[in-house]
Amino acid sequence: MARFHTLYTSIVVQGPLEYALPTDDEKPKRYGRPFHSRLLGRIGETQVGPTALGFTGIASLVCGFIAIEIIGLNMWASVDWNPIRFIKMLPFLSLDPPPAKYGLSIMPPLREGGWWLMAGFFLTAAILLWWLRMYRRAIALGMGTHVAWAFASAIWLYLVLGFFRPILMGSWSEAVPFGIISHLNWTATFSLRYGNIFYDPFHMLSIVFLYGSTLLFAMHAATILAVAKFGGERETHEIADRGTAMERAALFWRWTMGFNANFESIHRWTYWFAVLTPLCGGIGILITGTLVDNWYLWGVKHGIAPMYHPLPGLPLSPPAGSGKLPSLGAP
Amino acid sequence: MSTFGIGLTVVAVAAAAFIVWVPDWTHPPVGGVQIAPPPASMVQFSRGHIPEPVSLHAPAALPEVPASGASAASVYRNVKVLADVDAAEFMRLQRAMTQWVAPAQGCAFCHEGEDYASDAKPTKTAARLMLRMVRHINADWGQHVGRTGVTCYTCHRGAPIPAETWFPSVPNPGKPWVAKQENWRESAETVRKFFPDAGWQLYLLEDTPISVQSTSALRGDTVAAQIVAKRVYEMMMQMSDGIGVNCGYCHNSRAFEDWSQSTPYRWSGFYGIRMTRDLNRNYLLALQEILPQTRERLNATRLPVIPARESGLQNGDGLVVCATCHYGQPRPLSGAALANTYPELEAKGAVP
Repeated sequence: MARFHTLYTSIVVQGPLEYALPTDDEKPKRYGRPFHSRLLGRIGETQVGPTALGFTGIASLVCGFIAIEIIGLNMWASVDWNPIRFIKMLPFLSLDPPPAKYGLSIMPPLREGGWWLMAGFFLTAAILLWWLRMYRRAIALGMGTHVAWAFASAIWLYLVLGFFRPILMGSWSEAVPFGIISHLNWTATFSLRYGNIFYDPFHMLSIVFLYGSTLLFAMHAATILAVAKFGGERETHEIADRGTAMERAALFWRWTMGFNANFESIHRWTYWFAVLTPLCGGIGILITGTLVDNWYLWGVKHGIAPMYHPLPGLPLSPPAGSGKLPSLGAP
Repeated sequence: MSTFGIGLTVVAVAAAAFIVWVPDWTHPPVGGVQIAPPPASMVQFSRGHIPEPVSLHAPAALPEVPASGASAASVYRNVKVLADVDAAEFMRLQRAMTQWVAPAQGCAFCHEGEDYASDAKPTKTAARLMLRMVRHINADWGQHVGRTGVTCYTCHRGAPIPAETWFPSVPNPGKPWVAKQENWRESAETVRKFFPDAGWQLYLLEDTPISVQSTSALRGDTVAAQIVAKRVYEMMMQMSDGIGVNCGYCHNSRAFEDWSQSTPYRWSGFYGIRMTRDLNRNYLLALQEILPQTRERLNATRLPVIPARESGLQNGDGLVVCATCHYGQPRPLSGAALANTYPELEAKGAVP
């Protein structure tokens, strides 16, 4: 019996090196001499390279390198260039946006967010150039541009967090810092500031699509792996010619839940669940602080959050002096 | 099995063994107490096995003594704070204070030689200030200490310097052109002491109101800035750690701001924050002036090694935080009402 080349197959095919199809590009430049890698063959194709970086690819990598350098060198400098402290403290080091007093100024002092703005500019440039590259490579190969638009959904959330919402709020200080613990802290305090973001309906939707994505991904991947021994991973082939793998996979779900996706529609399901996760999340963030200040109270107002009975033994009123808004002198 | 597979298995088993054995886990069952009806529930989880550096049990009160009929001021010279107290009770309290604060050093911790009236030692002046503070707490901060009250032992636990104090760190000066970092306390022995204390300074030393969330659903311009929320968070975690509870002890986590969904403990905590602020501003800062830094000499077992870059306001012996009295217990000394047996500690004290 023929053996299909799947994740479980111990056979690693190392044929002659493959060069890409001719494309519509005027100058289809390729970089790097291709070679085979046994190790990579265990998790994917054995052939590495060549790549088609092009202008956008190289410009993106340069911008990304500059952004990472700005962030990393700022962090390293902040521990007096001590390599041991740098490694030890790395999770906690951070490059923060300008404090509120600088508003939307694009020229704050370097040590007070100036570096953050520069790093943000170059990182955004790198991401947008990479998007453009994905889009153009897809066109060049005659593919649809689905990958680029899925990436655009993630970029939307990124831009909402660091660009659109800060502009609407009138201050870069609303943006997310660069740093491992610091961006997690930002997330926790963001929810606390706006009265519990779990009551934000777009956050709810985003969670639905996020968890839905993992569920669909697990169902789909498990199904395909389960019929891999019948050649099931050759999905596109089976769209045209429903082989035994497709029949079994479809029957499995029809028997299990009475309905099954087909080899094409399952990808639409997973695509839209994945794309809608950051799309909804971005909307939820964008309207927080610009339209809604307290999501819990918004939830009460619209009947999402029920009121509980007051706890027994509770004093009748808050203590005097509670609830005053602090005015920290632009820390 | 291939060599690759065997190698992978060995690495996986070693990694699992490391994760299980090396960190200091709190192993199940983790006890929990539900303090509200469902669905809020507000379960309080037990603290696990974090050892506290001090005794968590109150010593027995000294036996009561028959009144002598004469006031302390009429029997002893140079009595300033406890002048009206009966002379016999005065001596009983002196003995108790020695037991609470300086059991190893004895009377000589505060008194110079045979002349008990002498003010030569700064520790004696400090003791007067601290006595005034105890009376002030018991008389004026009933909203926090209730009828339980405090004695010297609540903080000192038999040591001249309480084990849990706080030295505000100076703000990181940074460099002229490099972004500043938070004051992570790199010399911390544990993760819980690692976090920056900028928030403690704002709320336990400076007079900063605490508010984060808006009380209106839609835009009302009353949400605290991101940095403010972060500072409040630092202070609240200090509190949570110091008294050994999680957020739900006081707050309903779905609506932190809402007092009507909070537990009665939040009221106690509210006054506790203000009491701590009062003590730090009006007593502990004054204490720094009286006592030079003494903890190296007195509490040698807790000699701190603080890198120069983290050194801050290192005068005196530190300020008060929640843990200074609580030592990880919701009620210090499990609520033992030691102060009730020394009525002179409950008298109205004058703010210096």
